[in-house]
Amino acid sequence: MRFKSQRVAYYYFVVAVLLYALQIALGLLSAAKYLGPDPLLHILPFDKTKEIHTNLLIVWVLTGFMGAAYYVVPEESRTEIYSEKLAYGQLIAWTLMGLTTVTGYVFGWTAGNKLLEQPFPMKLVIVVVMLAFLFNIGMTIRKAGRWTTTEGVLVAGLVSAALLYLPALIDFDNYTVGVFYRWWTVHLWVEGVWELIQGGLLAFLLIRLSGADREVMEKWLYVIVGLTFISGILGTAHHYYWIGVPKYWVAFGGFFSALEPLSFFGMAVYAYSALRRSGLSHPNRLALHWTIGSAVYSALGAGILGLAHTWPAVNKWTHGTLITAMHGHMAFFGAYVMIVLAMITYAMPGLIGRDEEKSSALGMWAFWLQVFGMFGMTMAFATAGIVQTYLEHIMSIGYLDTQHKLAVHFIMLIATGSLFAVGVLLFLLDFFFVMVSPRAGVRTTAREGAAPWSPAAAAEAGK
Amino acid sequence: MTKRQTRLFFLGSTLLFAVIFIGLTLDTHRQITALTHAEQLTPEVLAGKRVWHEKNCTNCHTLLGEGAYYAPDLTKIADQRGAAYLSQFLKNPSTFYSEEKDRRLMPNLNLGDEQIRQLIAFLTWVSHIDTDGWPPRPLLVSGTFPGARTVRAGQEAVSNDPVALGEALFRQSPPACSGCHSTAEGVQLVGPSLAGIATRAAERLKDPAYRGQAKTAEEYIRESILAPSLFVVPGATFAAAGRSFMPDNFDRLLQANQIDQLVAYLMTLK
Ligand code: HEC
Ligand code: HEC
Ligand code: HEM
Ligand code: HEM
Ligand SMILES: [Fe+2]
Repeated sequence: MRFKSQRVAYYYFVVAVLLYALQIALGLLSAAKYLGPDPLLHILPFDKTKEIHTNLLIVWVLTGFMGAAYYVVPEESRTEIYSEKLAYGQLIAWTLMGLTTVTGYVFGWTAGNKLLEQPFPMKLVIVVVMLAFLFNIGMTIRKAGRWTTTEGVLVAGLVSAALLYLPALIDFDNYTVGVFYRWWTVHLWVEGVWELIQGGLLAFLLIRLSGADREVMEKWLYVIVGLTFISGILGTAHHYYWIGVPKYWVAFGGFFSALEPLSFFGMAVYAYSALRRSGLSHPNRLALHWTIGSAVYSALGAGILGLAHTWPAVNKWTHGTLITAMHGHMAFFGAYVMIVLAMITYAMPGLIGRDEEKSSALGMWAFWLQVFGMFGMTMAFATAGIVQTYLEHIMSIGYLDTQHKLAVHFIMLIATGSLFAVGVLLFLLDFFFVMVSPRAGVRTTAREGAAPWSPAAAAEAGK
Repeated sequence: MTKRQTRLFFLGSTLLFAVIFIGLTLDTHRQITALTHAEQLTPEVLAGKRVWHEKNCTNCHTLLGEGAYYAPDLTKIADQRGAAYLSQFLKNPSTFYSEEKDRRLMPNLNLGDEQIRQLIAFLTWVSHIDTDGWPPRPLLVSGTFPGARTVRAGQEAVSNDPVALGEALFRQSPPACSGCHSTAEGVQLVGPSLAGIATRAAERLKDPAYRGQAKTAEEYIRESILAPSLFVVPGATFAAAGRSFMPDNFDRLLQANQIDQLVAYLMTLK
C-alpha cells in the first residue's frame, strides 16, 4: 500500500465478505427448499430466500468492485483519494441500502422483477451512491492529472455499469418491453461492462503478480474488451429469442452471442501468457491462485457453459430450466466472485500494514474448497437441468413429476454446496483472524533465503 | 500492432455495434405492438401485471421462460387451465396440491377476488404473445401418463385417422386436455382420469343426477367438452358452486371436426 487513503478499501472488503457469507447461507436454504417439504413455507418461502440470495450477490460484488477501485485508482494515478470522508460515507449509505433492501424482501417489499427487485426508493439510493462514488473516483484522477489504461478500463466499466442501471428505474406497461430492457441492465452488465471491470482488475493483478510488461498487457487489454463489445452488445439478443420481439433478433443473438466466449478465452490466454514468463514465484500465492482461477473458471462457466445453451436450436429446449442456473453459478463465480477475492487477497497484506506477502494454509483450503465445491454444484445443476430438459420440455411430462425425479441431484447440490460453504467460512476466518495475526497458521511461501520479491527481478528471472 | 491501434479498435467497434443495437431497438418498438397485441393491454391487464410484480411470482415461477425454477412455467397457463380453475387455485392452492404428495406447495398469497381477476387477465394476455413457437411442446404442471400410448406431445399426427388425430390433439396445448386428464387408470390430475370413459359415459346417462341432453356415450362426451357444467362429475375438487373447473370455451377454441376427432379418440378408451 503506497497511499494512506487506500485503506478505505479494507472496510469495503469487510462488508463484502460478510455479505458473501450471508448470500451463501441463503443459497443453501433455497436449495433445501427444492427437496421439500418446507417447514418455513409460510414464514420465509422460496421466492424470498432466492431474491435475497441473488441480491446479496449483486450488492457484495459491487461493494468489492468499489473497494477494488479505491485500492487501484490511487496506486495507478499515484495520488491520495480525493475525499476519504466521502468514501466512508458512501460505504455506510450503500451498506444500509443493502441491508434495508434485503430486510424489506423478508416482509414482501419488492419490485418483483428478476435481479432488479430493489424497490424504487432503494433504486434511487443506489443511483445516488453510485454517483457519489464515481464523483470521488473522477476527482481523484483529475487531481492526479494522470491515468493508466488499466484503471481507465476499470473506471469505464464502473461508469457504464451505473448508466446501464438507469433503464431499471422505468416501469414499462408492456411486459415484453420490460423484459427487453431488463436485459440492458442484466446482460449488458455481466457480458459487457462488468467484463471491463474484470479485465481491468485482471490486468492490474497480472502486471503486479507477474511483472509482465505494462505496455504489452494494456495493448491486449484493449483487444479483449473490444471483443467483449463486438460480441456482447448484439449478443444481448440471446435473451430475445422467445419474448415476443421481431424474429431478426434470433439470428443476431445466435451469431454474436456465440462469439462472446472469445473474450473469456482471451482473458485465460492473457493470464497464462503473463504468468508463463515469471512462473508462480510471487510470494502471495493465494492472490495468484484466485487470479488464475478467475481467468480459468470464467472461460469455463461463461465461455463453455454459456456457449452450451446460447444457440437458438438448443436454447429452445433448455430455456427456463436449471441449465440456466448451472451456467449462472459458474460464470458469476468465475468472472466476478473470484476476481474480487483475488483483489482482496492481493491487497490485504498491504491494507493491514504488513510488509511480507504471505498466504496461509487456511487461505489455500478456502480456495480449493470453493473451487471444487462450485465444480460439484455446477455438475449437480447440470445433471438436474439435463433431466429436466428431457423429461419436462421434450417429453412433456409434468413439471411437478419431473421435479420428483430430480431429488438425487438436489441432494448432490446441497452436499457440494455445503463443501463450498465451508470454503467461504474458511475464507472469512483467514480474512478476519489469520491474515492479520503475525503468527498462527501463517507460513511464508517464498523460498528460504531468496532475495526479496520484486516485479523487476521476476521479469528478469522469466527471461 | 500498437496500443494506439488497439485502443482505436476498441472504441471503433464499440461505437459501431452500439449504433446497430440502438437502430434495431428502435425498429423493435415499431413492431412490438403487433407482436404482443399491445392494444389488448386493458387497465385490468396492467393491474394484473402490477400484482404479478408485487407478489413476487417471478421468484418462484418462470414467465416467458424467465424467472426462477422452483415452480412451473406460466406462459401458457391461462390457455391450459381456464379462469374457473385458476380463480379457485389462486384463492387457495392447497385445494389441489399438498406438500405430502407434491413435495412443493404454493403458499396462499391472500389474493383478493379483484386481484385474482386481474392476474388472470394478465396471464391471458401473456399467453397470446407471439413467442416464436416457444415452448416447442406443452409444458404441463403435472401428469406423467404411465401406460398411456406413447404419442409424443405436440407431434404432428401422421395419418388422417380421426382417432390418431384426436389423440394428438388431446396432447397438444391448447386445448391441453392432457394437462388436466390422464388416460391411465386412477390417476387424477385436475380432472378425473379418462381411462374407460367410453364405458363410463354410458353409465353416467343412467345417473339420476344427470340433467343433460345426451342419449348416447358419444353425445355425452361431446357434451362434456362443449358444456362441462351441464353435468359435473362428483368429486371434491372438480367444481365450485356448480361450475366445472374445466374450461367452457372449447366450442370457440376448437373447430367442429376437431371435436369429432377428440370424441372419436375418447370413444376408444373402453
Ligand atoms: C413460494 C413460491 C411461489 C410463489 C411466490 C408463487 N407461486 Fe405459483 N406455484 C408455486 C408452486 C410450487 C406451484 C406448483 C403447484 C403446487 O405445488 O402448489 C405453483 C403453481 C402455480 C400455478 C399453476 C397451478 C396449476 O395447477 O395449474 C399458477 C397459475 C400459479 N402458481 C400462479 C402464481 C401467481 C400468479 C403468483 C403470484 C401472485 C404465484 N404463483 C406465486 C409456487 C409459487
Ligand atoms: C382445467 C382443466 C381441464 C381441462 C383443460 C380439460 N378438462 Fe375435462 N374435465 C375437467 C374437470 C375438473 C372435469 C370434471 C368436472 C366436470 O364434469 O366438468 C372434467 C370432465 C371431463 C369429462 C367428463 C368425464 C367423466 O368422467 O364424465 C370429459 C369427457 C372431459 N373432461 C374431456 C376433456 C377434453 C376432451 C378436454 C380437452 C379438449 C378437456 N377435458 C380439458 C378439467 C379439465
Ligand atoms: C461472466 C459472464 C456471465 C455471467 C455472470 C452470466 C450469468 C448469467 C445469468 C445469471 C443468467 C440468468 C439470467 C436471468 O435469467 O435473469 C444467464 C443467462 C444466460 N446466459 Fe449467461 N452469463 C455470462 C456469460 C455468458 C456467455 C458468454 C454466454 C454465451 C456464450 C451466455 C449465455 C447465456 C444464455 C443463453 C442465457 C439464457 C438462459 C435461458 O434461456 O434461460 N452467458 N447468464
Ligand atoms: C452454497 C452455495 C449455493 C447454493 C446452494 C446456491 C443455490 C441457489 C439456488 C437454489 C438458486 C435458485 C435457482 C432458481 O431460481 O430456482 C440460486 C440462484 C442463483 N445463485 Fe446460487 N447458490 C449458491 C452459491 C452461489 C454463488 C457463490 C453465486 C455467485 C457466484 C450464486 C449465484 C446465483 C445466481 C446468479 C442465481 C440466479 C440464477 C438463475 O436464475 O439462473 N449462488 N442459487
Ligand atoms: Fe446474456
